[in-house]
Amino acid sequence: MPQQEALTVITRIRPGQVQTVKGILGTIADHRDDWNIVPFAKLPNVHFARFVVFDETADLDGNPIPAQLALMTNVDAPLDAHLRDLATICGAGLDTVFEHCEKYPGVAERTPAARFSFLRQHHTRASAFYVNRQGRTVQQILREEQLRRAINEHLDSIDLSGHSPEMVRGTIVAFIASRADLRWALHPPNPPSPMWRTTELVNMVAYAVLAILILPLLLLASPLLILLLRSHERRDIPDTSRASAEAVRRLRADEDYWMQNQVTAAGLFKPGWFRFLLATAILRLTDYAVRHIYNRGSLSGLSSIHFARWVPLDGRRRLFFSSNYDGSLESYMDDFIDKAAWGLNAIFSSGDGFPRTCFLFCGGITDEKAYKRFLPTRQIQSSVWYSSYPHLTTKNIANNEAIRRGLSGHMSADETRTWLRRFGVGNQLPESGIIARLLDRIRWDRLCHCK
Amino acid sequence: MPLQVEDIQGILLYGYGQLRHACFLLLGISDGEAARKWLGTLDIRNADFKPDEVHRCVNIAFSATGLKRLGLSDELIGEFSTEFREGVAGTEHRQRILGDTGESSPDKWRWGGPRNPDAHVVLMLYGRDETALAALLSEQRLRLTSFGLQLIEQLDTTWLPQDKEHFGFRDGVSQTGIEGVHTRTSPGNTIAAGEFVLGYPNAYGQYTDRPLVREEQDPGELLPQAPDDQRVRDLGINGSYLVFRQLSQDVVAFWRCCDEKTRHRDGSSNPQGRKRLAAKMVGRWPNGTPLVRSPEKEDPAFSGDNEFLYYGSGDVHGLKCPIGSHIRRTNPRDSLEPNPGSDRSIEVGKRHRIIRRGRVYGAPVARSMESADILAAGAASGERGLHFLCFNTHIGRQFEFIQHTWVNNPGFDGLYDDDDPLIGDRGSGHGKPGGTFTIQADPIRTRVTGLPRFVQVRGAGYFFLPGIRALRFLASSKS
Repeated sequence: MPQQEALTVITRIRPGQVQTVKGILGTIADHRDDWNIVPFAKLPNVHFARFVVFDETADLDGNPIPAQLALMTNVDAPLDAHLRDLATICGAGLDTVFEHCEKYPGVAERTPAARFSFLRQHHTRASAFYVNRQGRTVQQILREEQLRRAINEHLDSIDLSGHSPEMVRGTIVAFIASRADLRWALHPPNPPSPMWRTTELVNMVAYAVLAILILPLLLLASPLLILLLRSHERRDIPDTSRASAEAVRRLRADEDYWMQNQVTAAGLFKPGWFRFLLATAILRLTDYAVRHIYNRGSLSGLSSIHFARWVPLDGRRRLFFSSNYDGSLESYMDDFIDKAAWGLNAIFSSGDGFPRTCFLFCGGITDEKAYKRFLPTRQIQSSVWYSSYPHLTTKNIANNEAIRRGLSGHMSADETRTWLRRFGVGNQLPESGIIARLLDRIRWDRLCHCK
Repeated sequence: MPLQVEDIQGILLYGYGQLRHACFLLLGISDGEAARKWLGTLDIRNADFKPDEVHRCVNIAFSATGLKRLGLSDELIGEFSTEFREGVAGTEHRQRILGDTGESSPDKWRWGGPRNPDAHVVLMLYGRDETALAALLSEQRLRLTSFGLQLIEQLDTTWLPQDKEHFGFRDGVSQTGIEGVHTRTSPGNTIAAGEFVLGYPNAYGQYTDRPLVREEQDPGELLPQAPDDQRVRDLGINGSYLVFRQLSQDVVAFWRCCDEKTRHRDGSSNPQGRKRLAAKMVGRWPNGTPLVRSPEKEDPAFSGDNEFLYYGSGDVHGLKCPIGSHIRRTNPRDSLEPNPGSDRSIEVGKRHRIIRRGRVYGAPVARSMESADILAAGAASGERGLHFLCFNTHIGRQFEFIQHTWVNNPGFDGLYDDDDPLIGDRGSGHGKPGGTFTIQADPIRTRVTGLPRFVQVRGAGYFFLPGIRALRFLASSKS
């Protein structure tokens, strides 16, 4: 099975065309049933997609930043195949949207090849990219949900009380074997390609070695670095302004039509070389952490995110974050505060106006009032949002895969009982790796004290 | 910081369990000046009283438009929370997350909806017996017209046998305790005062946003200083937000459904199975026994028991009390992330609690409250249900969170299609119909599907329950 990739195409909107583009794209609420200009549903390997307009703004020195349009997708690898799909199957739609952007091929030159190279040239690699669990393709996710539904309906039609767990499992396996359309499930899904796994392993080891090498240096410099950090933290001015009620209402109007929601937020980096280096280092660490430490469905106890990305914008003057998650924004913000505050503080405290942190990991978003006031001021309304499985949570997807895996291979009596319970509820997540568990045990709120 | 009980309205800290007769009046204000005078004459019960000596209580709360009619400036009203200002029916988004759609949509409400007259005031009246309440009620009603107030709705209540609600289950067993007030609740059930009373540290150790007033806006110096900001006066302190929802219960449909889903193969009713299914849906037996304590039968020894956990009481997988049952999802105790079964899990759960102060209305289908008698009665006349009242200081993180993330969520804690079997909305804010109820069991779960919606909303509002000094400020001022 291929791994998942993030496409981020960022283009400048031609002067004076922002309203036209917004008019074409509409809002999520406008087309919650269907949006047919760029038919993402026709691409069988797209998990999520969105169009976002970044309005014209200015950096901290007052230099203008022009309006931009971003197309973001989460897809099954390879990325080039996805670009080709977009350039052909969605070609006409891309033309409609992107013809208002700079450097888009002229009317006579809009061939699939020209669109392909336009997309490719405007693609920006994410600084960090989180995938709930690598290796699950769209088709696998959809088919495994079908599988679970079929088994559940079958279970409803028979009485298995008094049977042993082994007999019940046998009944289920026999049922699947009898169904030509579901028989594929008797084989476990293939893992991502050996090539990809090797790259990941090399990345994991290389950066670990690098970290060990520079650790003595870091330790030596740490008193100075901590002093510098604290002086910055004391000096930085948190933004206490509030988003207008109207802006918040507009954002809310797009939310809670499905099991999932989306968020996009962008902010300027804090000025100065220290913050620049720190932000670079933290984003590197984040990339490492989400690839190698938090890669089993839980981001520090936060299990509701399907995909997330951090992408630099405007020659590294800004950073934007976007994610696809389960539940409401209120529950998402609470999850951030209650479960993953330390990591998110480290990342987002490089953003201008962020609530004041304390030793990088503490404070910050644990100030519930400040955080819930701040986020809407940095949030950007996505115009178009697509999910190929809006009715499934991350837990549902993980549980469905575990159900499928349990249809083949040997199981102990205990394993059988545990597997059968997956038809009752799917809340048992795979255990995190050892480093993740160690990190999760730290009570950050008790570690730091600042005035 | 000890609570200033003499400045807090009684209903916020106590349920007035000894005053079983209650009535809620929804009022409209047409003349602000007269309404302020009226307010000044009311004898509002504070929380500093001896239950045995009290025979009647009056408490009061206002909607955002009500505060405006009283003369509060737009600037000051802007200081109140967004949820309160927008109102319970204020946006389509809120209707979606609360499940106020279909038959429960605000344009079908009897009060509080866009087609109804604005309810500016809720006057809550309580009496020790019928005579006490009747006297209080006629006294209050008489005075309304002379102060230019319209009676929009009179919502009567009743008290059912065995402290039950209409479906036949003992209600109010699990009540949140407030730190420093309710000393008998267990630590896991005792919540920071600021979650329910404005002006005190909340479960995050912060002071929840609330209306604050500049000194010149309070020339009479009626309001106290804000505890977290000496420069301003506190209009919110010792107050709270009241969520009021009239929930109509289709009792016969509920028991008919439980009956049909549990029939014997020959088509005859199975009273034991019926009761068991209903208990699984609720998470308690009709007499209040938690399923975690006694999964297969009612046990009088545990009928008032609330000192249990889920992981901590050995029910990790929902084999005793189903994951999707009503009580497990409205108060998940130690069962959710982070680290289910840990103190941290309980701690995080404490950020999503409410204090319930509801009262039942309407005649029971059967006085015995037994399902057999309810079914025998067949189609019951009249309407019955619950006047659901709860208090919280952050409506979005407390009441609305519980309603959307827990009650109406088909994906609650790893489920797929199961919203709250008892009070779920059967789909709106999640794009999925819900209506499935799964009973976890070994070797394999059973489930029922196609549950209809048993509870419909007939009226609702978000109100502000001021502290006693804030009431004096509202009665006096035109700021």
